[in-house]
Amino acid sequence: MSLRSRRDVLRTAGVATLAGVAGGLASGTAAAKPRSTSSTTGFLHGVASGDPLPDGVVIWTRVTPTPGSTPGSGTGPDVQVTWQVSTDDRFRRVVAKGATVTGGARDHTVSVDVRGLAPATTYWYRFTNEGRRSPIGRTRTAPAPGAGVASVTAGVVSCANWQAGAFAAYRHLAERDDLDVVLHLGDYLYEYAPGEYQARDVVVRPHDPPVETTLLEHYRRRHAQYKTDPDLQRLHARTPFVVTWDDHESANDAWSGGAENHDESTEGTWSDRRAAATRAYAEWMPVRFGPDGRLYRRLGFGSLASISMLDLRSYRDQQASSPVDSGIDDPDRSITGTEQMTWLLEGLSSEAVQWKIVGNPVMITPVRFPSTLSTGEIAAVRQLTGSSGIDGVPYNVDQWDGYTADRHRVVRHLRDRAIADTVFLTGDIHSAWACDIPADPLTYPASGDSVATELVCTSVTSDNLDDILRVPPRSASLAVESAFRAANPHVKHLDFDSHGYSVVVVTPAALRMDWFALDERTDPASPARLSTSWMVDAGTQRVRRV
Amino acid sequence: MTARTGLDRRSFLTLTAAGGAAVLLSAAEGAAWAARPRKERTRVYVLVVDGCRPDEITASLTPRLAALRAAGTAFPAARSLPVMETIPNHVMMMTGVRPDRSGVPANAVYDRDEGVIRDLDRPGDLRFPTVIERLNERGRTTGTVLSKQYLYGIFGERATYRWEPAPLVPITEHAPDAATVDALIAMVDGPDPDLVFVSLGDIDRFGHGDLTGTTLQAARSAALLDTDLQVGRFVDRLIATGKWGSSILIITADHSMDWSIPTNLISIELLLSARPELANGTVVSQNGGADLLYWVGAADRRDAALAEISSVVAAHPGVLEVRPPADLRLGPEAGDLIATCRAGWRFSDPSIVSNPIPGNHGHPATEPIPFFIAGGSRRVRAGATSSAQARTIDIAPTIGALFSLRAPAGGYDGVALTSAFIR
Repeated sequence: MSLRSRRDVLRTAGVATLAGVAGGLASGTAAAKPRSTSSTTGFLHGVASGDPLPDGVVIWTRVTPTPGSTPGSGTGPDVQVTWQVSTDDRFRRVVAKGATVTGGARDHTVSVDVRGLAPATTYWYRFTNEGRRSPIGRTRTAPAPGAGVASVTAGVVSCANWQAGAFAAYRHLAERDDLDVVLHLGDYLYEYAPGEYQARDVVVRPHDPPVETTLLEHYRRRHAQYKTDPDLQRLHARTPFVVTWDDHESANDAWSGGAENHDESTEGTWSDRRAAATRAYAEWMPVRFGPDGRLYRRLGFGSLASISMLDLRSYRDQQASSPVDSGIDDPDRSITGTEQMTWLLEGLSSEAVQWKIVGNPVMITPVRFPSTLSTGEIAAVRQLTGSSGIDGVPYNVDQWDGYTADRHRVVRHLRDRAIADTVFLTGDIHSAWACDIPADPLTYPASGDSVATELVCTSVTSDNLDDILRVPPRSASLAVESAFRAANPHVKHLDFDSHGYSVVVVTPAALRMDWFALDERTDPASPARLSTSWMVDAGTQRVRRV
Repeated sequence: MTARTGLDRRSFLTLTAAGGAAVLLSAAEGAAWAARPRKERTRVYVLVVDGCRPDEITASLTPRLAALRAAGTAFPAARSLPVMETIPNHVMMMTGVRPDRSGVPANAVYDRDEGVIRDLDRPGDLRFPTVIERLNERGRTTGTVLSKQYLYGIFGERATYRWEPAPLVPITEHAPDAATVDALIAMVDGPDPDLVFVSLGDIDRFGHGDLTGTTLQAARSAALLDTDLQVGRFVDRLIATGKWGSSILIITADHSMDWSIPTNLISIELLLSARPELANGTVVSQNGGADLLYWVGAADRRDAALAEISSVVAAHPGVLEVRPPADLRLGPEAGDLIATCRAGWRFSDPSIVSNPIPGNHGHPATEPIPFFIAGGSRRVRAGATSSAQARTIDIAPTIGALFSLRAPAGGYDGVALTSAFIR
C-alpha cells in the first residue's frame, strides 16, 4: 500500500519502543521470541506447504545445521535433508519421500514440489537432517479438475507488520480445523527499519535486521525473523498457503522500475534490490516460484473455483504523480503488464470452473474521494493511502484506480462475455471492504449493474485510520466511512479501523466472507470476534450483508 | 370438449380453458385424446421463459420461479449457446446437438438456394431427430405449447399433441403467456403427455421493446411479474389435479437480454459502403447482437474478401469479434463470418433504422440463462446447487436419461444433468 513519505512523517512523530509505554500494548513481547529459543540448530523456522495441486504440493522448511548457519549469513555447510509425505500423522503410510541438498547458497532453505499425490487428500509431511526431525506439517491437495466440490474454505490475510503487533490473527486461523488453504494477499513482511513504521508510535517488537532491507542478507534475515513467530509457524504447519506479494516484500509502492521507498543514490540500483527481495522470497516462501519465473499463477479446485494470484508489482508502470494526472487514463500504462492481462482474461473466460477468484494485491473497485470530510479526516486518509484528498478524484493511484485502462479491460471483458461469479479477494489497504464492481459507475446508482465483486480483508497488524487519527476504534472513522459509501454507492461495507483476518467459504450457491476483528493487535493472546459477514449469491455479481 | 378429424389426417380437440376461452389442440393421427392410465409415470415439462436473465429470478420479482429454484436443483452457471437466439436454442434443447448437426444456427439466415433472408421456421429446416420424435417412437406421448409462431413452425407436427399459438399479438407474432399457459393446462388436463415443451414469450417480447432497458426496465419488470403468475398457475394446477408428485419441471431460457442506447448501433452494410466491391458481394443476416455474413461475390475473391471484411468490421468499437462460424459449430447455414457485438451495442442491417428495438440478444453478453430443475417428483434432488455449466444443449440428454431413451445416432453434444436427480 502507499505509505508516501512515511519515513519523513515518522522522523518527526516520535517513536517509542514497547518497553517505554504503558497500558494496552504491554503484552506483546512474548510472541516475538522464537518457539525454540534453547536450540541453535535444527528446524528453527518451522515447516510450511503451499500451492496445492490435485497431484502435488510444495513443502518447505529451513534447516540450521550449525550455530553459525544463521539466516542471511550465507555460511554453513551443505547438508542433505530428507523428507517424507504420509497419509497419517504417525508416518505409517509414507506415500512419497526423497532427499535434497541445501546450503548457504539458498540460505539453507528447502523447497520440494512433491508430485504423485492423490487429489483432495490430507497429508502429513516432515523433514530430517542428521537425526534432527522437523515439526510435522499437515497439508491438503486440491480436488481433481472438473470434480464436483461441495465447498472450499480459505483464510484470507494481508499486511502483517511485525513491528505493529502480534500475529494473533494467524493463531486464530491455526485453531480452525476447516481451512483448505490460506490466501496471503501480500505484505507478508515489511522492509522498514525499527522506528520507521510500527503501531502508531510504538514499536511492539523491533525488526531484524535493524535496518531497512535493501540487500539479500537483509531480506533473508527479515523473512527468517517473521518465520520465528510461533503463530505464523503454527499456521504454516497446519494449512497450505497460496501467496502473492504486494510492495513491502520489496519496498513501498514498488513498480517495475523502482519504488517510492527506494533511493538509488543511497540504496543501490532498484534492479539489484528487487533481485535480492525476489530471491529471498523464492527461498523462504512455500510457493511454486523461482526468482527468474513468474509469480502470477492459477490454482484449481475442481469445477467449483479457480484462484488466480496476481503479481501487480513486477510489471506495472510507475504510479501517476497524482489522481489528477492524466496518465491514470493512459491506455499505454499498465498495472499487470500485457502478458499477465492476457492470462488473466483467459482465465476469467474459463468454462471449466464456476467461481473465478482473483487474489488481488490492490483494490480494483473504483473509489472516489468524498467531498464531506474534515481537514483532519482528509489528512488521515491521505496518510493511509497516499492519496491527494481531492474531492471527486480517485483516492489512491497505487491501486487499479491509477491504471484505469487496465481496469476497463477487465470490466469490459467481464461485461462483454457476461462472465459470472468473478470475485476479487484483496488486501493492501488495511481496512475491510465489500463492493460491487460497477459495469459503469455513472449508471450504477440507477441500474445496479455489477460485473463482479470485491471483498477486501483488513490488516493483520498494520496501522489503519483510527491509528492514524489517534482515536478509539469505531469512533471518528464512522463518519469517514459513511462519506465514502455515500460518494461510492457500490461500496456496501467499509471498516477503516479493525485488524484481523477473514475466512471465505465458497460453495456452488454462494461465496461468503466473514471478517474477524482482533480486540488488541499488540496482544498475542487477543480474542477475535466476528465483525461482519457478506455474501455473493451465485450469478448475481452483487454483495449482500448476511 | 369437442374432437374432430381434419382433412390433413390430424385430429383436433377444442377444450375450454380456465378463463372460458377455447383452446384448440391438434394431435397426430391415431393419438388418443385421453391419457393412458399408468401405475407409475414421470411427467416432464420443459418451461422456457424466453429471454429471461438469471438475475431476474428473485423472491420479489418472480416469487414462484424463485421458490421452484430454491426447492429443486439450480445451475447458476448455465449458458445458452451460439447463436443466442430463440429458434436455435429451442432446437438445441430438443435435439441435444450443435447447429452444425441440426442445421439451425440462428433465427434468420440467408438461404442461398432461394436467394432470400428468411427465418428458419419450416419443419424441414430442422434435420436432426428431436427427443420429441424419439420419445414418440418409444410409445411415449409428447406435446408442444410454443408461444411464438416461428417456433410452432419449425417444430411443426413432431409432437403427439400441439397447440398453435393464438391469439397472436400483432407485430410480435406471439401468444401472450396467459393464453399459452391456458393451452398448457388444457393439454395436461386432457391428453396429459409424458413430455411437454413449453415456451413463454412475454418477457422476451417486452424486453425487446423496453425503452428503459438500460436503467429501470419498467416494461420488462411488469412482464416478469405476470409470467411468474402464469408459471404459478400451472404449478397450482398440477398440485390440484394430483400430478405434482410425478412432475419434473426443467425451467430455463433460450438466451438472456441486453439493452443498448440508440447511438450504439453497428451497420455492417454501412461499414462496407466505402468498399463497394466488398459491399456488393456480401449479404448480411441480422440477428440482433450477431450478424451472419455471406459472401455472394466471385468465388475466386472469397478468401481475400472475407479477410478484408473481417478486418473492416472488427475495427468498429462496438464489435466484439468476427469469427468463422465453424469456430462456434454453426454449420454452413450460418454463412462465412459471424460478427458479434459488445455489451450495450446492437447490429442494425441493412440500414441504421432496420433495428430500432433497444433489447437484443445473440451476442456473448446474452449467454447466461436461468436453469433449474424442480417439481414434486421424488426423483428431483431438492435444495441443491451445482457448479456445472448447464447448457441448453443438455436438456435433450437429460430428458433422455429420465425416460431411459438411448442417445441418437452419433450421440449427443450435450450431457445429461444427472446431478439434479436422486436416481
